[in-house]
Amino acid sequence: MKKYLEIARAYMKAQLIWRADTFVDVILAVAKILFAWILWSILFEEKEQIAGLGFQSMISYYMISSYLFQLEKSAEISQQMTSMLRNGTFSKYMVIPVQTQGYFVAMEAGKIAFSAGIGFLATVLWSYLFRVPFVQTSDLKILLCGIIMVVLGLLFMALLNYFLGILTLKFEEISTFLMIKDNFSAFVTGAVIPLALLPEELTAGMRFLPFYYVTYLPSMLFIGKCEDEAITGLFVLSVWCIVFLVLNQAAYEHYRIKYDGAGI
Amino acid sequence: MIIETENLTKRYKRYKKQEGLAGSIKGLFHREYEEKIAVADFDICVKEGEFVGLIGPNGAGKTTLVKMLTGIIAPTSGRIQVMGFYPNKLENAFKQQYAVVMGQKSQLFFELTAEDTLKLFKEIYRIPENEYKRDKEFFVDLFQVQELMNVQVRTLSLGERMKLELMASLLHNPKILFLDEPTIGLDAVASKQIRTFLKDVNESRGTTILLTSHYMEDIKVLCKRSIVVNHGRKIYDGDTDLLFERYQKSKRMTIYFEHSAEPDVPEYCRVLEKTDDKLVLETSKQNVEKVLESYIGHYPIRDIGIEDEDIGSVVERIYKGV
Repeated sequence: MKKYLEIARAYMKAQLIWRADTFVDVILAVAKILFAWILWSILFEEKEQIAGLGFQSMISYYMISSYLFQLEKSAEISQQMTSMLRNGTFSKYMVIPVQTQGYFVAMEAGKIAFSAGIGFLATVLWSYLFRVPFVQTSDLKILLCGIIMVVLGLLFMALLNYFLGILTLKFEEISTFLMIKDNFSAFVTGAVIPLALLPEELTAGMRFLPFYYVTYLPSMLFIGKCEDEAITGLFVLSVWCIVFLVLNQAAYEHYRIKYDGAGI
Repeated sequence: MIIETENLTKRYKRYKKQEGLAGSIKGLFHREYEEKIAVADFDICVKEGEFVGLIGPNGAGKTTLVKMLTGIIAPTSGRIQVMGFYPNKLENAFKQQYAVVMGQKSQLFFELTAEDTLKLFKEIYRIPENEYKRDKEFFVDLFQVQELMNVQVRTLSLGERMKLELMASLLHNPKILFLDEPTIGLDAVASKQIRTFLKDVNESRGTTILLTSHYMEDIKVLCKRSIVVNHGRKIYDGDTDLLFERYQKSKRMTIYFEHSAEPDVPEYCRVLEKTDDKLVLETSKQNVEKVLESYIGHYPIRDIGIEDEDIGSVVERIYKGV
């Protein structure tokens, strides 16, 4: 375990080298909240509620979900794997005594740890300075469920992208798979069509997929909504994480042996 | 034996695309593949503590062999054992005991300092704190890199980076060190330094080293035993001095004149290149002195360079049995 913590720490340190990126991260975290504040203030001038949420809940939801969305950078894993396999530098992970899956997950954790800290501080500071009417659940169990769900959601996305990276060993070109993943994820999370417009059976079916629980449900839980879905969400996400942990291990062992490309 | 292979073979299948747009479209529906044998029926035995040179021209199969020995790729057929392990199983217990340095690939974190990378390697290889400190000091002293430890790797020169690559790879005291073209792209001074370090590591720590290079100098200076590979097959396995004595018969001489000259060329030399102020000749090793005598003092000479024959010619000679 210690070796994976050190890997995470090394990547966190590497993130801190780029000063401009660090400052932009801070500025973006604040700018997003400011933008949401202005936008929702205008929209709520003539309405009490939008999509069942009042102004305070909506601002709180937006702040949390945009914060979580900013943390989710796991697409880098598949992009990095595919480029390293194709240019022949992936072997550096194969010759050291670590599990490659663990290495990439730790790498991702290290990369987002800094953003998570800065984003959190910026959000709290901004809310305090501008008296943003932040709404949050008062139930500690739900809060805990939300936090675990965020961790599992980020882990799932890292595992999914690692799986897509492994597919390079078989297909060499995976941009189509990445496009399918992005579009499907956007559809299932309601970013393409509001989920309310879809048939009830379809949206019910989506609850068995993990994407719903990556940013949407934890955000709702933190503002005290959808609390009855918390346990189901944790269960579904846990199952998906286990499935992908096993699948990734099997796929990697299978495809790395068959891979003949010059890349490795 | 620390490394042992028998009839080791690696075959690749590659897509043979027909030329032009029509060929590309045809390839969407029907593809033809051709088989390439990268390594064929390769037998190799290496004893603990040996320093073995693996030489051959580009595409000979050297890197593929190293990739199989380190477990990066699986052999198609044949038997292979390295320290008692089947490499491609990639067991941590196996990976804990060897290191690979590839001249064109880096293990270091470019954004971080060498010190940070070494700390990471300490955890990855579970090196105890006291051993880590002791060995780090030993290598810092050996490689003379005190001032480089806290500099961002990205800003180092190729030679400096290679010293740190070697240091990072040796820190866990591997039993075997695989080196694939470690001096590629380095200038003469840096190459010489790297060779000195490697010799020291082999002698003082008893590390078995398998060095892949197509630089004759690396092999001559470091390896008592050489294995020559061509078209995936072993064509020579034996004493390095004997190899060069028997098969490296010519020298390449480059003579630079102060100004335009029309020098006579001795009959026992072959002209490879000739310009107004430069003459490149190939001659047998025995005739080098005679050639020097025929030019020095007779022509206004600015510089003279004498190089060994390239690996391609030696391989060709071994292959033909000349």
